[in-house]
Amino acid sequence: MDDMQELSVESLSALCSNLAKACSKQLRTEEAALFDQLSSYYKSKSELPEGKQFKDYSDLVLKELNSDYPKISQQAASDGDRGSLRALTWGEKVSKILRSLLDRYEKQKDSMLENTNVYVCEICGFIYIGNLPPEICPICKVPGFKMLKIQKESV
Amino acid sequence: MHAARNIRLCTKDCVCLFVCPTGATDTENGQIDFEKCLDGCRLCVDACPSHAIYLVNDNYAPPQVKSQKIKAMMLEMAENKTEQEKIASGIARDAKSPIARQLAKALAVSSRISAEDFLREAGYMLPQGDEVKKLLRALLNSQQQDLPKETIQRLLDLL
Ligand code: SF4
Ligand code: SF4
Repeated sequence: MDDMQELSVESLSALCSNLAKACSKQLRTEEAALFDQLSSYYKSKSELPEGKQFKDYSDLVLKELNSDYPKISQQAASDGDRGSLRALTWGEKVSKILRSLLDRYEKQKDSMLENTNVYVCEICGFIYIGNLPPEICPICKVPGFKMLKIQKESV
Repeated sequence: MHAARNIRLCTKDCVCLFVCPTGATDTENGQIDFEKCLDGCRLCVDACPSHAIYLVNDNYAPPQVKSQKIKAMMLEMAENKTEQEKIASGIARDAKSPIARQLAKALAVSSRISAEDFLREAGYMLPQGDEVKKLLRALLNSQQQDLPKETIQRLLDLL
């Protein structure tokens, strides 16, 4: 099948971690564990790049905002594909937040996060900087307990 | 369809114990015994005062049909996101300051979540769906050396 040749090991890993979550929601614990194993296998095949900067990440987000979201949203709209349109709407909002966070970090550096916490919404990927997570996610509207706290390692 | 209990919501009012005809609601681990539960019965679902029990489908309607074009685009978005995840994970591994590592980790998690969402919309929403089975079969036939074939085969058997 051609799909598979196109998919990178990183995407295969994400595909499997997503299916593991879907299985847990259906309370299929054995299947969830198997998909998690597969996801880790593909992750272990991924080689992390050396010497990257936040700027490299930010550039990709900018490219996505300038060209991918407008183009693909148009296609989803003309298909009447509500699911894809929903994912694109969340994705675009999250990307805008990521951009402005990275702009701020560029200026303020580590002081931006010194006395606060960092959370990621497990459903849409929204990143929140603050002491306590918001009651509901401003982007996808899930309750705050779906916000994952990203720990700072102690120095 | 069988019943399942959301342990987070269960307030141990135990009405489910009285209404269940098979004793499926009475278990050690707090979850309902799926094997004993009668297909579509739902007595406990309606009886629970805390809305802690719900029905889980065994079969799902086929997902919305998607055009090849949008599928390809959703895969492309997923590739963008996993590329971001890779960069962020690289920074999280190498950065000197713990705060930079923390931020990079958050970015990596965020990108992974978006990648997963785009992959769902590329047709891989339902684990039991045809797309997933097709993919698993293709993976099984791939030439990768140390592929965990038993894992993939077991998944195909279960789904
Ligand atoms: S009736 Fe509802 S609240 Fe009471 S034990 Fe059963 S699941 Fe829990
Ligand atoms: S649905 Fe019926 S059989 Fe299944 S656990 Fe509830 S009461 Fe028991």
